[in-house]
Amino acid sequence: MHNVLLTNYVFPNDMHVHWSMMIALYPYITGIVAGAFIISSLYHVFGIESLKPISRFSLIFALAFLICATLPLLLHLGHPERNLYMFITPNPSSAMAGFGYIYATYGVVLFLEILLIYRPVLTRLQANTKGLIKLIYTVLTLGSDNLSPRALAMDNKLISFLASVGIPMACVLHGYVGFIFGGVKAHPTWSTPLMPVIFLLSACVSGIAGIILTYVLIKTIKGKYIDMDCLRTCVKYLAGFIIIDFVFEMLEMFSHYYLKTQNHHMVAKLWSDSLFNTFWIGQVFLFSVIPIFLLGCLAFFKIKDNLYKFFAGFISLLLLLQVAFMRWNVVIGGQLLSKSSRGFTVYHPDMFGREGIFVAILVLCAPLLVLFILGKIFPFWIEPENKPI
Amino acid sequence: MQSSYNVHIKRIVLILFIILVVGLIAKQVLTPDSFGIYGHYRADAIHDEVNREIRHMTNASCEPCHEYESENLATGFHKKLSCEFCHAPNADHAKNGKKIAVMSVTEKKNINALCLRCHNDSLWARPEKIIKTVRMPEHLKDQEVRLNNVCSQCHYVHAPLKYINRPEKAKKMQETSL
Amino acid sequence: MKKKNQTPDLKRRAFMEKILKGTIAGSVFLVIPAGPLICKIPEQIKGIRGNKYEMTSKKFAFIVDITSCIGCGSCCVADKREYNVPDHNYRTWVERYIKDYDDKVYVDSPNGALDGYHGPRKDIKKPIRDTFFVPKLCNMCKEPSCVQVCPVGATFKTPDGFVLIDKKHCVGCGYCIQACPYSARFLNPETNSADKCTWCYHRVRKGLVPACVNACPTGARQFGDLNDKNSNVFKKLNGPGVISVLKKEMGNQPALYYQGLRREVI
Repeated sequence: MHNVLLTNYVFPNDMHVHWSMMIALYPYITGIVAGAFIISSLYHVFGIESLKPISRFSLIFALAFLICATLPLLLHLGHPERNLYMFITPNPSSAMAGFGYIYATYGVVLFLEILLIYRPVLTRLQANTKGLIKLIYTVLTLGSDNLSPRALAMDNKLISFLASVGIPMACVLHGYVGFIFGGVKAHPTWSTPLMPVIFLLSACVSGIAGIILTYVLIKTIKGKYIDMDCLRTCVKYLAGFIIIDFVFEMLEMFSHYYLKTQNHHMVAKLWSDSLFNTFWIGQVFLFSVIPIFLLGCLAFFKIKDNLYKFFAGFISLLLLLQVAFMRWNVVIGGQLLSKSSRGFTVYHPDMFGREGIFVAILVLCAPLLVLFILGKIFPFWIEPENKPI
Repeated sequence: MQSSYNVHIKRIVLILFIILVVGLIAKQVLTPDSFGIYGHYRADAIHDEVNREIRHMTNASCEPCHEYESENLATGFHKKLSCEFCHAPNADHAKNGKKIAVMSVTEKKNINALCLRCHNDSLWARPEKIIKTVRMPEHLKDQEVRLNNVCSQCHYVHAPLKYINRPEKAKKMQETSL
Repeated sequence: MKKKNQTPDLKRRAFMEKILKGTIAGSVFLVIPAGPLICKIPEQIKGIRGNKYEMTSKKFAFIVDITSCIGCGSCCVADKREYNVPDHNYRTWVERYIKDYDDKVYVDSPNGALDGYHGPRKDIKKPIRDTFFVPKLCNMCKEPSCVQVCPVGATFKTPDGFVLIDKKHCVGCGYCIQACPYSARFLNPETNSADKCTWCYHRVRKGLVPACVNACPTGARQFGDLNDKNSNVFKKLNGPGVISVLKKEMGNQPALYYQGLRREVI
């Protein structure tokens, strides 16, 4: 079919972009959960000692984001009051139905792991505090004050088990989100088996970057000590993940150009016209190529600690933006190409609507607020006098 | 007194078990009654759809009150048209056998717009066999009538060629097509 | 919208509830009583009224004949009025394809053809070689991708092959809208649930053809019972002519067939 397009024809029902920023935010938030959990598991399962300082913080970080993960979805649903149907009548053939049970089970695993790791700290805090917070600690330690070696040894085994089980679960938690897109044959830019892989890898990138950025920021603001060994290890893993993630993202895009399947020139036009700014300039150049280049500099040149900390934070910020842009390009970009294969629609997010820009900003800030509150209950950092796990 | 070494684990297991049991019971109770009879959906939904109000009642429903127009329509070239398209669905016009609203088409621009939706020649996409098309304002010039005439001034819309004397060729078509 | 009171009386409702809750074998026989006015209107699909409606044995087909479509848009108007479809959402629409002498194709569908096509396109400066119209609606796939992806079971395929939406169960996630290759679905802003063409299931069950089929003046849209060997659709599907479907490579196996489908149509 030659010369298919000359004028823009969008199917009448395709004019409206149904999956808005909220649907781009949901994988962003669960991605950070998965990524933060992976960092923690690198210490608890694979025994990478240098990551110990942030091993607990990353779990609390993951929990804060997990608690807020349902928020963008509830804001998007036409009937949020019926959301429990995901639990009551989940359709086994639908990837999205996995949401209810996977999310709940993973939440239980993460929360239990946190409780067990923190038990010594919380038990001590329970004994030394008064009032409401004491009650909270009593509940969290399940009324037990036994910190004998036998109890701790059992706890350790359970923690290892939960952390190990948690890795595939985190992969499923974010992999299924990728499959929600990858399983839609009607959209040519979504339908690829690489989608769950890309989503998972970018999740790891966003999680590690989030951890690094908040670690550097919190410690710098409070004037506390940053463990350079820990930071360098994190940056190393971040570099590994972003390189592999970038390769897969480019592979997916490149295979469209190379295979030239039907209507490929419309897909190409999507990337060269509608998404030129957000994809080529944003996702690829500013937020992938430049950070990878900077990461290379950090790896090959000896850099003073303070400068290293700054670049670690800066690169993490860029990579957080990379993942955000990637989610935008996939979720919203994919819908811009009409199923008529003859035209593009535009997405105009409104400012104050239920799925608008203002609400999106609030949704992004909510996990940080929850993190702040959780920080009052669960101390982020392992103090020297504590027996670390 | 210090609690036993595994009391917290026992309590966690108990809580999880309770959540599981309560969850399973809730799932059973909250699943809609007719769910799962034919498949993974609420069978009553089929009923809901079947009981939807029918709004268009076909030309047969217009005949009892509008015999003259119905008869003309049925014998003329417009026999395949739906009354309810130019006028309105039965549900908007009558309820329990009584008229609730007037649905006549009287405004000039509405009549012309309705006729030209089908008979406009300028789109080139309407084969002669299927429908006779005319181009405006050439048709009015050909017929030597005023250029602001409405189609219904010459054509009786329900039987469009009934009072037209000239198109013998068209009248011959009447026997062969439709 | 003025609602006609068509809910069955208590006795019949209890009877139907018994059937629904009964055995699978018992429940396939659903007797739907017709309302008062329907009885006076002759049936358009033979054999449905007055007989037991055995869902699993029913098979319907919808055939669109492109060569007869004149782009009047009566079908779109009838559909909008039958369901009070909110503006800017379309259960069915008609597309206009224009081809010039360089084989370039221009497609449009102004307001889904609700106002018809009033004249040629003013933005095409080149001489036009050919124009044709293509009605579009739900393809009522035999392997619907929309049903596959619904997370809560709010959209489903009935035993008689109709893909319907349970708007009391739909959570409005929009996954089915993404999954439909034909863009037949939309989110209804009034019910906040998904919506689409249902081939007028409520009419078919009472022996009437869909509203768009009833309105079409040229017979471009045809609907019928494939179990009736004398129906138009049976003869066309089992006859020698070429019958096509849209986006065959998607694998959805549509039950909506096209006659005279042109290669430019996607």
